[in-house]
Amino acid sequence: MSKKITSILIANRGEIALRVIRACRDLGIKSIAIYSDEDIRAVHVKRADEAYHIGPAAPAQSYLNMTKIVETAKTAGADAIHPGYGFLSENENFSEMCDKNGIIFIGPTSKAMELTGDKMKCKAVMKKAKVPTVPGSDGIVEDMQEAADIADEAGYPVLLKSAFGGGGRGIRLANDEKQLRQEFEMASAESRAAFGKAALFVEKYLERIRHIEFQLIRDSHGNSRHLFERECSIQRRHQKLIEMSPSPVVDQKTRERIGEIAVRAVDAVDYLNAGTAEFLRDPQGNFYFIEINSRLQVEHPVTELVTGLDLVKLQIGVAQGEELTFKQQDLKMNGCAIECRINAEDPFYEFAPSTGIVPNCNLPYGPGIRVDTYLYPGCNVSGYYDSLVAKLLAWGRNFDESRIRMKNALDEFMIEGINTTIPLYKTIMDDPNFIKGELSTDYLERFKILNKMREDAKEAAKKSAKAAVAAVLLQSGFVRKTEAIHQSSMTKSNWKMMRG
Amino acid sequence: MQFKVGDLAEMLEGEVLRTTDNNSVVVKIGGKQHTLQLLKSGTDEFEFLLDNSFHHAKILQVGTAEVKMMIDGQPLVVKKHSKLTEVLEKASAIGGVGGGDRNLTSQIPGRVVNIAAKPGTEVKKGDVIVVLESMKMQVAVKAHKDGNLKEIKVKQGTSVARNDVLAVIE
Amino acid sequence: MHEEKIKRLASMKKSAESGGGQERVEAQHSKGKLTARERIALLLDEGSFVELDKYITHRSDDPTLPKFYGDGAVTGFGTINGRQVFLFSFDFTVLGGSLGEMTSKKISKAMDHAMKVGCPIIGIIDSGGARIQEGVMSLDGYGEIFFHNTMASGVIPQITASIGPSAGGAVYSPAMTDFVVMVENVGQMFVTGPEVVKEVLSQEVSFEELGGARAHATKSGVAHFIANNEYDCFDKVKKLLAFIPQNNAEEPAIVETNDDPNRIDSKLINILPENPYQQYDMKEIIKSIVDNGDFFEVHELFAENIIVGFARMGGRSIGIIANQPMYLAGALDINSSNKAARFIRFCDAFNISIVTLVDTPGYLPGADQEHNGIIRHGSKLLFAYCEATVPKVTCIIGKAYGGAYIAMGSKNLRADINYAWPSAEIAVLGPEAAITIIHRRELKNAPNAVDTKKKLAKEFRDKFANPYIAAEKGIIDVVIDPMETRPMIIQALNALANKKESRPWKKHGNINL
Repeated sequence: MSKKITSILIANRGEIALRVIRACRDLGIKSIAIYSDEDIRAVHVKRADEAYHIGPAAPAQSYLNMTKIVETAKTAGADAIHPGYGFLSENENFSEMCDKNGIIFIGPTSKAMELTGDKMKCKAVMKKAKVPTVPGSDGIVEDMQEAADIADEAGYPVLLKSAFGGGGRGIRLANDEKQLRQEFEMASAESRAAFGKAALFVEKYLERIRHIEFQLIRDSHGNSRHLFERECSIQRRHQKLIEMSPSPVVDQKTRERIGEIAVRAVDAVDYLNAGTAEFLRDPQGNFYFIEINSRLQVEHPVTELVTGLDLVKLQIGVAQGEELTFKQQDLKMNGCAIECRINAEDPFYEFAPSTGIVPNCNLPYGPGIRVDTYLYPGCNVSGYYDSLVAKLLAWGRNFDESRIRMKNALDEFMIEGINTTIPLYKTIMDDPNFIKGELSTDYLERFKILNKMREDAKEAAKKSAKAAVAAVLLQSGFVRKTEAIHQSSMTKSNWKMMRG
Repeated sequence: MQFKVGDLAEMLEGEVLRTTDNNSVVVKIGGKQHTLQLLKSGTDEFEFLLDNSFHHAKILQVGTAEVKMMIDGQPLVVKKHSKLTEVLEKASAIGGVGGGDRNLTSQIPGRVVNIAAKPGTEVKKGDVIVVLESMKMQVAVKAHKDGNLKEIKVKQGTSVARNDVLAVIE
Repeated sequence: MHEEKIKRLASMKKSAESGGGQERVEAQHSKGKLTARERIALLLDEGSFVELDKYITHRSDDPTLPKFYGDGAVTGFGTINGRQVFLFSFDFTVLGGSLGEMTSKKISKAMDHAMKVGCPIIGIIDSGGARIQEGVMSLDGYGEIFFHNTMASGVIPQITASIGPSAGGAVYSPAMTDFVVMVENVGQMFVTGPEVVKEVLSQEVSFEELGGARAHATKSGVAHFIANNEYDCFDKVKKLLAFIPQNNAEEPAIVETNDDPNRIDSKLINILPENPYQQYDMKEIIKSIVDNGDFFEVHELFAENIIVGFARMGGRSIGIIANQPMYLAGALDINSSNKAARFIRFCDAFNISIVTLVDTPGYLPGADQEHNGIIRHGSKLLFAYCEATVPKVTCIIGKAYGGAYIAMGSKNLRADINYAWPSAEIAVLGPEAAITIIHRRELKNAPNAVDTKKKLAKEFRDKFANPYIAAEKGIIDVVIDPMETRPMIIQALNALANKKESRPWKKHGNINL
């Protein structure tokens, strides 16, 4: 299919919607935004060329409402739909619906999505293509006893994953059979709630592993390229917190070797457009394929910074049927990029979600700094959607330069009105283990990072203590002055004029 | 006045000694004198020089006992009257359980997606009473003490704000 | 020479400020209570307190009664968030905070000042009661204070913080003030204490059960607020003051808000369940329409079938009265009538506009209510609404049947603007009750009484239970789209801001107390 795209409806919100709008603008493509009741004043609505109301706040009735979205695309005359990440980005029914309605879906085919979405089928295909995979169940496990048996064989601890999950959702850990049974129940419910289906599979939980993924792009002419790796080992509850490229443990030879395996993986599923092959690497250096994320990911800017490519524009090009113009050997890794996901959560209080208006914010900038965000002074951070409010990226010629730039940018980043995870990242940037590249998915617990963060907060409080006290003293004195003035000017007091 | 800044253990003494002209205030903090020069002020926002360093403070919330602020972009809570707080903490210890203690409050804003316990039953500290949902995360609100779950004040679908009372345990 | 005089002043000051002495202060602290001056420091703006009558001592010639400077209370003036107030704080460390002739004099003086100046008077109660040694002079002292409370009532706001005991006749002063905040496990009020109760009635009851904060906030309605601790108590006093004016000649300050006065909320209609007999939480509607969802509820735990409290709409401070369908289906009864009537009268006295939200099926039936005088108490609510001349905006959300419809700020009680949601049902009786009377014969002869009843009830509901009939008669001014409730009410309040209405001259009415 070779069709020139002149307008794109972005079936998403928040920072990714803005990201796609930017790419559209670069290419002279009309950007069409959709918004729920909650997002009426959101930045992506303001920046798009056109914006359409899609429904009430709840995702099921708005950003997940396939029929409404396709209808809107048709009304708006959109050539294509970009699904962003999350929401409908990996929903093969949606991709099919777009096809049926003559709208280009910027992403993989529904067939490829179906395959990659079914972790078990995908695993089978990978095995055939001689891509190394993780020990565990070969198919969906619907029965709790079966799960227990497989877990026994693979060896505890095991992970229960939703066969239709991804992005860290629907994953539970079980250390023994008792826990497995408990978690099986809850994991089924969560999976059903998030994806409408409750099929789970069991996987051996490898310990002290690193999460290393390869960005890939494949066009409709069968050309596949890998765009190097990203290390995303620092996670919490299976949600990535920090991503970086290159990985401290991937040298050029490994890069080429695993990159080639990743390319094999996307070829095996006849993939189309941008995607990511995720691997786990054990301390011995073995890589295990776990899944293909059939969408543009949150952390794609990390790859953009070290390759100089614009992935969203590439996506649009591939969707138009264009052939990739660069060869694998043309690509070179340049410098180092780190991304910190700034979430509206209170890291001092069990990462409790924090919502509300952001009356004021100060975004960092300077050499090598990139911020992808939907924040602006006065914006609303809603409880209906996920907690990612900004992606802060720092690029440097080497790891240390990017790390220090990130640290300084974190210091400059000020967000009022909500709690954010900025303090956590400040601590990590200075953590000797991070600096050494000693990463694993249990990094936070292993090095007791949260405790360090509290200590750092105490130090920061000490430094600011005098200024804080000064501010309180100013405030009480000042309030008196202004309130009194305000009061006396406000009412030409009727009191004195009263009779009697 | 005694202040307690953030999680720091030591108390800091602070008081205003006098105001001079051109918007300067002489204060005594932690036993030392400092000059505060007010550069810009609104009802809840100040820019000032403390001796020679520049600071920006935004007052978020003022209560009798504490002030929540952003100082130089960092959130910080300053507790006032710290000596008096020590006295008052005895009151809750003596009365057995102060009033606030019966209430199980929400620490986050969100929506109730599940009521996990029955009113009238005995509950233990840590039992899940209510499950809230916010930002696509489910958060279980657990009983803060043992006792009889007298009342659940919310029902499925209720929106709650931070510090709203969810249940009463006696 | 002058130096000596300055030194003397300093030592006198120190002596007076130590109250009943170091030992007594420590005893107070060990009970987890703060001293009178510490409390004043928490309540008032830093450095704003000027103490009056610091050196007053009693005039009794009883040799067993020691003299202390201050005589058991600390009085004076200062500012709270910049607003002038006068206050008195009983000093438990001096003779148990008991009231003597001179204590009363200085408290009355503070109240007099507040009256002259037109600013709120705040009383912090922590007192053992009348000073026995001073005999009838202390009773006289109370009488004097009661007189001042009465004179000040409706002229300046009077707020009581109960952070300690208050027994016997002393409790009547707080009862006459406008708002009482009691600190849980610390504040106590009763006319006769547990010992006497035990002696006379052989009833065993603890101090807390008899007259503690919770008892008064939930059962008797004497307390309007429960505070968790002393800090919370003062936070509540400060918050309360922000909504009310300094005196009865002024209006509450308007506080600019970022909350768009034209904000519509499409979720509002969905708060009402499909089934009209199902309960919902009226507070959700209130929180949606007021500025920043900030609703300061008064009497939260008393007569929960009606909600009263302060909020702002479009920056303007208002008093809200609303039925609560979650309790007793929102029916009116003795306690709720009293609670709402007093609140309306406070708002009227102090120029605070009133917004009423209605969803009530009627009055609570029963011999209990009848014999305890629902007729008398219910009439107070009607009286209060009629008497009030502040702007009154009513919005009927759901049911509004019979006498309760009338009582909840209806048109003829001289509400200014009456709105109704499309879901409003205004009728003399609910459909079920109505058709049993109107169609009595038909129902008797019907083959299937249950089904016929359902059908007739539905017909009745469709025909009468809608706001358009009342709108045709002009009793409802506008039927509004629920999501526009906030802008509509704010526009009404703005239009009525300059309202002037008079009542026939009278010394005072004869509200059925």
